[in-house]
Amino acid sequence: MHIESQREGLQTTDNPLGMEGIEFIEYLTTKPQALGQVLETLGFHPVARHRSREVLLYRQGDMNIIVNVHDAADGRLASAQGSPVIGAIALRVRDAGLAYRRALDKGAWAVPTQVEVMELNIPAIHGVGSSRIYFVDRHKEFSIYDVDFVPIPGVEKRPAALAQMHFFGAVQYIGWERTEDWTAFYAELFGFTTIPDQTRFGILPKGRLLRSPCGTFYFQLVEPEPGLELEADGQEYLERIGLGTPDVAAAVAELKQRGVLFSESVRAPISDRGAVVAGQLFGLSFELVHSDRA
Amino acid sequence: MTQFNGNIDSFGMDTISLAGPLEGKLKAMREAGFTQVMLSARDIVGHEQGVEAAIRVVKDSGLRVTGFQVLRDFEGLSGGLREYKVDIAKAMLALCSAVGSKVLLVCSSTSTHATGDMDVIATDLRRLAMLALPRGIKVAFEGLSWGRTINEFPQAWDAVCRADMPNLGLGVDSFHAFATRTDLDLLDEVDPDKIFLVQLADFMWHEIRSVEERINTARHFRVFPGEGAHSAEVAELVRKLDRIGYRGDYSFEVFNDDYQQIPQATVARRAHKSAVWLGETVLQRSVPLPGQMRLKRARLG
Repeated sequence: MHIESQREGLQTTDNPLGMEGIEFIEYLTTKPQALGQVLETLGFHPVARHRSREVLLYRQGDMNIIVNVHDAADGRLASAQGSPVIGAIALRVRDAGLAYRRALDKGAWAVPTQVEVMELNIPAIHGVGSSRIYFVDRHKEFSIYDVDFVPIPGVEKRPAALAQMHFFGAVQYIGWERTEDWTAFYAELFGFTTIPDQTRFGILPKGRLLRSPCGTFYFQLVEPEPGLELEADGQEYLERIGLGTPDVAAAVAELKQRGVLFSESVRAPISDRGAVVAGQLFGLSFELVHSDRA
Repeated sequence: MTQFNGNIDSFGMDTISLAGPLEGKLKAMREAGFTQVMLSARDIVGHEQGVEAAIRVVKDSGLRVTGFQVLRDFEGLSGGLREYKVDIAKAMLALCSAVGSKVLLVCSSTSTHATGDMDVIATDLRRLAMLALPRGIKVAFEGLSWGRTINEFPQAWDAVCRADMPNLGLGVDSFHAFATRTDLDLLDEVDPDKIFLVQLADFMWHEIRSVEERINTARHFRVFPGEGAHSAEVAELVRKLDRIGYRGDYSFEVFNDDYQQIPQATVARRAHKSAVWLGETVLQRSVPLPGQMRLKRARLG
């Protein structure tokens, strides 16, 4: 991974927000228990509950996943089939307030916050579709979860990751001829850069790959297949997340033992480069991607 | 279509050319043979039964929305005025999106409070394009011929290039180009894929002598292409755009006080005659193959 520039602190212009990876990814669902089961088979553990809302925090290694039931009735649940949807991605940044104001000045749409007394006001902007992008700067000495969440008694607060899994990226389905637009969006607001077409990760190489300025997270922009552009009806959303692991085969073996089903189709076979977890909870899918970052 | 449509699918009317309620305007356009409509925000906001009802009327009409107009005096402002205008832009974009329009028309600023600094103008247009981006809206920036800093399409194109956003492009309005006698050969410098809208109109007099007369003519005395004193120039502009590779929409931006006093259907028939003239005689378009139409619709989103 290309994180050398970070070591020497040279990233100020290339990394305008001081981005340092992903703090959490949020799913919205009307079926929190079913989604929780899926996450647990993937190695996540429920570690905390939100103080005032029906929101659960799942964790393994450095990955936090928030399962949000509270917002399920507010119209952000776009999936007609009842499949959980990715509702938000939280970026770790140097200064959340600065990052937020900078984004607004560049043309992002602010998300009005609705916090209860004593809860953290985490600034957010609108992302693709109905999703949100949060800015979090409290991820080192203390965390946002210390304030808004109550630990679930008796559980390990920092469970280790299976097969050294970590957040690798997110696949975003976009409308016809929208690749340039979304490339500009992530470049302008966060400093993501396009990586060459010949550099690809995982087993589903379609579309354009954008790398975060900190080099630890990717967005993959995928337009509809030619001929299906009308059927796609311009819908745009975060389709799935990618989990990185240095040893795909070991991860697949371990996850299979836990009951995870993988696609073994011709289009998405299991290989050293990656594998696709398919058919979970109304079509919810995850992708394993070979990545040496532990 | 059950009637002969004369290859006019690239041409549409503006609601501003017709009097009366939105329903009647859309019906007149459809019955005249048009398949698209350029909407004015006033038609939506001023609807008797409210915005939601107006949006439903547009969707039920079956007409494709060419674009949504118009955001004025946006660029070059500072301080509280700048933030105020951003709020207005957001409201316009939300409405633009709600009516199913993929293009927002933005006219260059006439405000004496706006700076002429092209870097500031470009920064503001870039911000506007970013606001439009998540909603899948393209911003067509047009040089108003009485704009304070930008009043001809080459300057508008310069601002678009400086701002450099994929969803920011040029709006070309024949009236303004003719009023300022801008050399149409300068269109050769423009990327045809970055022209997001072309508005066509003619007018009855040969010459416009002052800025005041220009504004007055633009707002009250435009006529449909082929009806005025500049038919040859309109034809030349359309052929020129076709030659450089423009394949997008043409809308008839015709503000005319007389047309506000005659029945909608009569005005729509005049517009249709104009569209047939452009499609058949000027562009000499052949009937497109079904596959091409499908691809074009998909591209236009």
